[in-house]
Amino acid sequence: MQKQIVIVGLNHRSAPIEVRESVAFENVYVREALVHLRDYPSIDEGVILSTCNRVEVIAAAGDVRSAFDDINGFLAQQKAQRHAEPLDDHVYTYEGAEAVRHLFRVAASLDSMVIGEPQILGQLKQYYDAAQQAGTVGAVLHRLFHRSFSVAKRVRSETGIGSGAVSVSSIAVDLAKRIFDRFDDKTVMLIGAGKIGDLMARHLQSHGVKNLMVTNRTFERAVSLAEKIHGNPIRFEDFPRYLKMADLVIGCAGAPEILIAAATVEKILRERKQKAMFFIDIGDRRNFDAKINNLDNVYLYNIDDLKSVAEENLQERASEAEKAESIVLEEAQTFVRWLGSLEQVPTITALRQRFEEIRRREIEKSLGGSLKDLSAEQRAAVQDMTTAMVNKMLHGPISQLRKSSPEELEDPTLYVAALKKLFDLEDK
Amino acid sequence: MDALLVKLTAVVYLGVAVSYFFHLFRGASASRLPTALLLGGFLIHSIALTSLFLREGFATVAVMGDALLFNSWLMVGIYLLIQLKYPLAVLGAIVAPLAFLMTFAAFAVGGGAGEIPPGLQTFWLPLHVTLAFLGNAMFALAFGVSVIYLLQERHLKHKKLTILMKRFPSLESLDGLNYRLLMWGFPLMTLGILTGSLWAGIHWGDYWSWDPRQISSGLAWLLYGALLHGRITAGLRGKKAALLTMVGFCVVLGYFLWGDSIFPSRHGGRFE
Repeated sequence: MQKQIVIVGLNHRSAPIEVRESVAFENVYVREALVHLRDYPSIDEGVILSTCNRVEVIAAAGDVRSAFDDINGFLAQQKAQRHAEPLDDHVYTYEGAEAVRHLFRVAASLDSMVIGEPQILGQLKQYYDAAQQAGTVGAVLHRLFHRSFSVAKRVRSETGIGSGAVSVSSIAVDLAKRIFDRFDDKTVMLIGAGKIGDLMARHLQSHGVKNLMVTNRTFERAVSLAEKIHGNPIRFEDFPRYLKMADLVIGCAGAPEILIAAATVEKILRERKQKAMFFIDIGDRRNFDAKINNLDNVYLYNIDDLKSVAEENLQERASEAEKAESIVLEEAQTFVRWLGSLEQVPTITALRQRFEEIRRREIEKSLGGSLKDLSAEQRAAVQDMTTAMVNKMLHGPISQLRKSSPEELEDPTLYVAALKKLFDLEDK
Repeated sequence: MDALLVKLTAVVYLGVAVSYFFHLFRGASASRLPTALLLGGFLIHSIALTSLFLREGFATVAVMGDALLFNSWLMVGIYLLIQLKYPLAVLGAIVAPLAFLMTFAAFAVGGGAGEIPPGLQTFWLPLHVTLAFLGNAMFALAFGVSVIYLLQERHLKHKKLTILMKRFPSLESLDGLNYRLLMWGFPLMTLGILTGSLWAGIHWGDYWSWDPRQISSGLAWLLYGALLHGRITAGLRGKKAALLTMVGFCVVLGYFLWGDSIFPSRHGGRFE
C-alpha cells in the first residue's frame, strides 16, 4: 500500500488558546500518547507536535480517509479528558503534497505567529526525537523530518526571514550593539526589579555584560533579584551616585514620576568624560526625562520606540517570507517526487509483468492453434514482433511516469495509484 | 602611457565605489569582491605612480595632479592595511569614491605649478612630502570614519533603523578608529611641518615664511591638536569630535586643491 503523509492539527489561527490548550500534550505523556496513536490500524508512523501555538499530528498512512478519522478521534479523546466542545471547526487537515508543504512551512517558521521566530525548529526536533525514541518513526517520516530541518536551515540562510529582532529585549540589545562595540567592559544599571528588566538583564549578560547593578524602592527585592542574576544591589536613594558608572541604564520601576532628569545626565556625562550612555525606559510609565535624548553621546529609547522598531522588522520579515515560500514549494516538490518514486519502481515492474503475461498467454494460444504450422524461424519472428509491440506500447507511459516532474505541486503518487487501479496491479 | 594608467585607475576606483554601495544597500553578503577590485585598482595605481616617478623623478609631486595621484595612493594603501585588521566595508564606501575623485582630478587638473629647481631636489623633498601626505591620508580616512559615525549617530538619535545601519560598525568602534587615525595623522603632520620648516631654513634661511600652505596646515594642525587635547583631557568625543575631524580635513583638502592656484607660493611653484 502506498504511504501518504497526513497532518491533522490546530494552530494559533485556527483555534483560540483555550481550545489549543485543551488538546495540548504535556511533555511527560507524549511518549505514551505516541504509542497510543500508533495502535490505530490506519497509522503506520506518527509524530506529535505540541507547542503553545499549535498541536499537530503528523503521520504516514496507507488509507488517508481512515487515518484522518482516527487522528480526529485521537485528538477528541485527548480533549474529552478536559472539556467537551467539538473540535471540528478548529481543525485543519492536509494530505500528500500539501501536508509536506505544510510541515516545511512550519519548520521554516512561515506558519508561526511571529514569522521567522527560531524556536519552532528546536521544538520540532525535540518532538521528532521523542517519536523516534517511542519507535513511531519509520523510513517516510524519518526522511520527511530531516528534510524539513534542512529546508528550515536553507530558508534561514537564503532569506532575511530571521533578521531584525522583533522582541523588545532583543531589539534593545541590537541597539546597544550599534552604540557599544563590546559589553564585557560595560556596566548595566537596572532600576526596578520588574520581570521585563530581569529578562533584559539576562539577555545582556548572555551578550557578555559582567557588571550589573540593581536598585529598587524595596531594597529586599533588589537584593533578591541581584542574587538571582549575580548583580550588585544598590539602595534606591543611592542610585544617582552610582549612575555615572553605568553605560546602560534600564528603567522599569513603574514609578509615576521622572527618576532621572536631563540635567542630571548632563552633569554625569562631564564626570564620565562624555563616554556614551544608553537609556532604555522600558516600563509603562516614563521614568527618564525625554530630553535626555537631546544630549550628545546619549541615546534614550522608550518602550514605544522599541515597539515601533519591532513593527518595522516584522514588515521586513513578511516581505522576506515570500522568498521563503518559493523555497518551501520547491523542496516540497522534490520530496513528493521522492515519495512517489518509492512506489514507482515496483509499479513499473508489475506493469511490465502484467503485459508480458498477456502476450505469452495469447502467443501460446495462437501457436498451439491457428499458427501451429509456422516454421521455427517464423515462430521466433512472431515472438520478437509481439515483444517489440508490448515494449513500444509501454514506452510512453513508463517514461512519462519516470520523468514525473510536475510543474505545480502535483502528486506523482496519483499516477502510480491510477496505474494500479487501471491494470489491477494491487500487491498480491 | 601614464595618463592611460591613471584613467584606468580612476575607472577601477569608480567601479569599486559602485560595488561597495551595491554591497551596502543591496546586502550582498561578502565584501570580498569590492576589496579585491580595490586591490586591483591599487596595483594599477602603483604601476602608474612608479612609472611616473621613474620618468619625472619624485620632484614631480610639485605638480598638482601628480601630488593628488601620490596622496590618493597613500590613502588607499593605508585603507587596505586597516582592512586587514578591521573589515570595514562602509569605510571602503567612503574611501573608494574619494580615491576616484582624487585620481580623476589627477588627470583632469593635470599639471599646473612649475618645476622644482634642481637645487631643491635633496632628500628633504621626499621626506617632507611623504610625511605630509601620509598625514593627509590618515586625515582623509578619519574624515570617512567621521562621516559614517555621523550617519550612524543620526539614525540612532532619530530612531530610524535601516538595514544599512546594520552594516555600520558600532559608534564605539568608529569613534575609537577615528581617535587612532588622528593619533597617527597628527604626529605625521607635525613631522611634515617640521621637516618642511627645517628644509626652508636650510635652503632659504627662514623657517617660516607665512606661505598660505603653511598657514592652512598650521590652522589644521592647531585644530587637530586641540581636538586631541580635548579628547584626552575633557572627553571631546563622539559627534563633536567627528564634526571637528571633518572640518580639519576640509581645511587640508580645500587648500590642497585650490590654495596654490589662488596664492602662488613656495608650495605653488614660486621657489625663488
